[in-house]
Amino acid sequence: MSVVTDPKTGLIDGPVHDRLAALSRARGWYGWAGYAAPSVLDTVEFEYFALRNQCALFDISPMHKYRLTGPDASAVLNRLVTRDVTRIRPGRVGYAVWCDEEGMVIDDGTLFRLGAQDWRLCCQEPMLTWLIEAAWGFDAEVRDESDTLAGLALQGPTAFAVLEAAGWDVAALRPFDHAGLGEVMISRTGFTGDLGYEIWMPWAEATAVWDRLWAAGGPWGLRAIGYAALNIARIEAGFLTAGVDFQPVHATERLHRGKTPYELGLGRMVDMTKGHFNGRRALAKARPRSLLMRVDVEGFKPAQGALVYHRKRREVGHVTSGVWSPTAKRNIALAHVALPWATRTPPDLWAEIYTLEEGRWDTRMARLTPVEGAFFAPQRARATPPGHT
Amino acid sequence: MSRFDAIVIGGGINGLVAAAVLGRRGRSVCLLERSDRLGGMAGADGAYPRMAHLLYNLGPLVRKDIGLGARDWPFRTVALPTVALNPGGAHVRIDGAEARFVDGRPHPDAAAYRALVTRLGGYGALLRRLAEAPPPGGDAAWTDPAALKQMLRLGGFGRALRQMGKAEMRGFLKVLLSNAYDLILDELPDGPLAGALAADAVRGLAMGPRSPGTVFSLVYRHGHGGTVSLPVGGMAAVVAALAEAARAAGATIRTGTAAARLLCEGDRVIGVETGAGEVLMASRVLSSAAPLATARMAGLDRFDIEASRRMRLIRARGTVAKINLRLSALPRIDGLPDDLLGARLLLAPSAEAVETAFNPAKYRQMSDEPILEALLPGVTDPAQDAGGAVALSIIAQYAPSDLAGGWTDAARDRLLAAVVARLSTVAPDLPALVAGAEVLCPDRIEAETGAPGGHWHHAELGLDQLLTIRPANGLGHYAMGLAGLYLCGAATHPGGDVMGLSGRNAALAALGDGP
Repeated sequence: MSVVTDPKTGLIDGPVHDRLAALSRARGWYGWAGYAAPSVLDTVEFEYFALRNQCALFDISPMHKYRLTGPDASAVLNRLVTRDVTRIRPGRVGYAVWCDEEGMVIDDGTLFRLGAQDWRLCCQEPMLTWLIEAAWGFDAEVRDESDTLAGLALQGPTAFAVLEAAGWDVAALRPFDHAGLGEVMISRTGFTGDLGYEIWMPWAEATAVWDRLWAAGGPWGLRAIGYAALNIARIEAGFLTAGVDFQPVHATERLHRGKTPYELGLGRMVDMTKGHFNGRRALAKARPRSLLMRVDVEGFKPAQGALVYHRKRREVGHVTSGVWSPTAKRNIALAHVALPWATRTPPDLWAEIYTLEEGRWDTRMARLTPVEGAFFAPQRARATPPGHT
Repeated sequence: MSRFDAIVIGGGINGLVAAAVLGRRGRSVCLLERSDRLGGMAGADGAYPRMAHLLYNLGPLVRKDIGLGARDWPFRTVALPTVALNPGGAHVRIDGAEARFVDGRPHPDAAAYRALVTRLGGYGALLRRLAEAPPPGGDAAWTDPAALKQMLRLGGFGRALRQMGKAEMRGFLKVLLSNAYDLILDELPDGPLAGALAADAVRGLAMGPRSPGTVFSLVYRHGHGGTVSLPVGGMAAVVAALAEAARAAGATIRTGTAAARLLCEGDRVIGVETGAGEVLMASRVLSSAAPLATARMAGLDRFDIEASRRMRLIRARGTVAKINLRLSALPRIDGLPDDLLGARLLLAPSAEAVETAFNPAKYRQMSDEPILEALLPGVTDPAQDAGGAVALSIIAQYAPSDLAGGWTDAARDRLLAAVVARLSTVAPDLPALVAGAEVLCPDRIEAETGAPGGHWHHAELGLDQLLTIRPANGLGHYAMGLAGLYLCGAATHPGGDVMGLSGRNAALAALGDGP
């Protein structure tokens, strides 16, 4: 169910396009849910280091956002997702994943509990028809807020200081808290694994909010960034991207391209004790076929797209995301590896990396070393109140 | 609180058969019927037929499995000839594959008709192999005895297909998915004989003879012999025999008791709460209620979103109205000898007329010239006449369940007038004889039986809703996902007509048994 852009319409402007266009020296735009989004505004390096050492502003308005309200809203969501949403209290945000009837992941996203009977789901894939289907027969209303609610991600060690300078007091927000502050709602969430916030507001308010942050951010090194820099950060954090690290099963046309939460390393998100949820019966019977692993890749050549071999001979998987991590100073990757090879000790896994150097293709086998946890998880991401730098 | 091995919801034909089969296998069974009368769509007021009035396909297999012995039913059945009425022309008498004019003259198309019906019967015998067993497929490993049996059966189907000979097999596969209209008119000139076949192909369906898939439904009907019989004592005798079989098998039958809620524990059903709040415990519940209604009794949140969507989208647009007339005297039908008044009378003058009657139904209108199956049961079985009056039982098509404007009194009157007017083209004295009329439109049929849309077969017999995907993908093996819960109504495979096979197959599935 990927978004198809009408070639006649072309990409359309997001809520802060004027500001982004003015900053875009690279003029690198890509289509994100039909919107023109920056892949890079200046250079990836500048933007990445701003994100990790100062702070960065990234427009996340093209995300799909859905509001679920009504007496049965929680029941509908509990039917939809694999975790028990009743444990997400009002004022909190929860990461969630949801499956089809075969237990294959449709998408993942964040659930904002705005009230006892009031929820917002933010995700990458269009989900309106699926949510309406999930809510059919229940006393709950589904509303698509994708084009009415804008979001700006402010991420990095000085993010708290910028918000403070802009006049928003979020000192009390713990990770995964959210709070309404006047016109905006601010959540301590993000896609970088670092200290960071997401600011949510009506579409028409986004430019004013951007300007307010921009004015406050100068002394704190605030920079606008594109997706390329963010992508490095999210791989460092070990986060998955739909369509890259897993194929949202509703968007696949071939059989058996879906993955279960277990296969994506999201088993902790599955609560088999909460009662029925979509795909539960299939998941109860499912045996993982492969595992999404975090690996450290020998050498410094990014392993993106490389095939994975066991003992350099048997093909057992492939790398979905691979990048040199400037912060971890490691060559890191996420890779799907078939079982049982994913869990063998010693692993003896290798990535076959193709390189192109000035017209010459070459291939090399790079040893993969499994890594537990995120490649980069700074303490500052969890401190409350957070520091200024 | 009472405890049973199994609870059957709904006391229609399939519910009764399911209860009897389970009881015969030593299970304690309680059957709940919300109305005061058993039989569902086959239920009757006394001997007088109310909805279904004839038997097509009640099989010996069902009879054997409910313990009625292999020889015959405890009621007598009289095979009826069919008369294809021809307003202003010569009526045609049909006995099985034989057609001739009612005055005994040979019909010029008799040979072609015989060849076609014989062919359909051959196809039907083949399909019956699939109908009598649960649909193929399922989760079982192939080494599982049930799965092995199933493979053998499918192998048998394939072998039978091969044994037809190459030309016949090609012919079968070519026509199976196509439309009845073309098949019939390839062999016969259009007229009452072709019309009779066309009408039989679409009875109860939201399809016209030109709709794809109607060959399948025609074959389905002929597969079981295509003979039509009148139970002596009416449908009430049939229902009584099935109820008696269920009771003899030890089943408790409770009428006037609606199932309100399915009780669940974890991912299993553990019992039923009745409308009166009584709790009945059982590890298996078989429901002949509509799939979605059944799911709602357990709570939709116990089913996957795909499953509830499929249940919601099951096509069940009823197109049949049942009209029960009381006449002050036997009508006279022009050109029909008196000894044929008791026949199944079809008023479908041509295949074209059937298709034309279907046209308004596409646009939520009733047919101006409806296709009729009329029966004077009292001619054959005097007990079936209603309180001194002559009973005329009519199945009228098309009367769509989603009629624009709804089935108001005025709409019902209009339908009745259209039906009477249509009949008066062959029986001019009929209007004067009508002493009373009951018009059961799809809305009433739905209200009384729970069949969605008042659909004659509980769910459309379309190619997308047959065999492993009847009534919907994922529900084709009677199980509903929630452990211990099974569907056993006519909406499941093989479904339709008064067959009882759905109930039997579901009971066997619930027993964890192969066929």
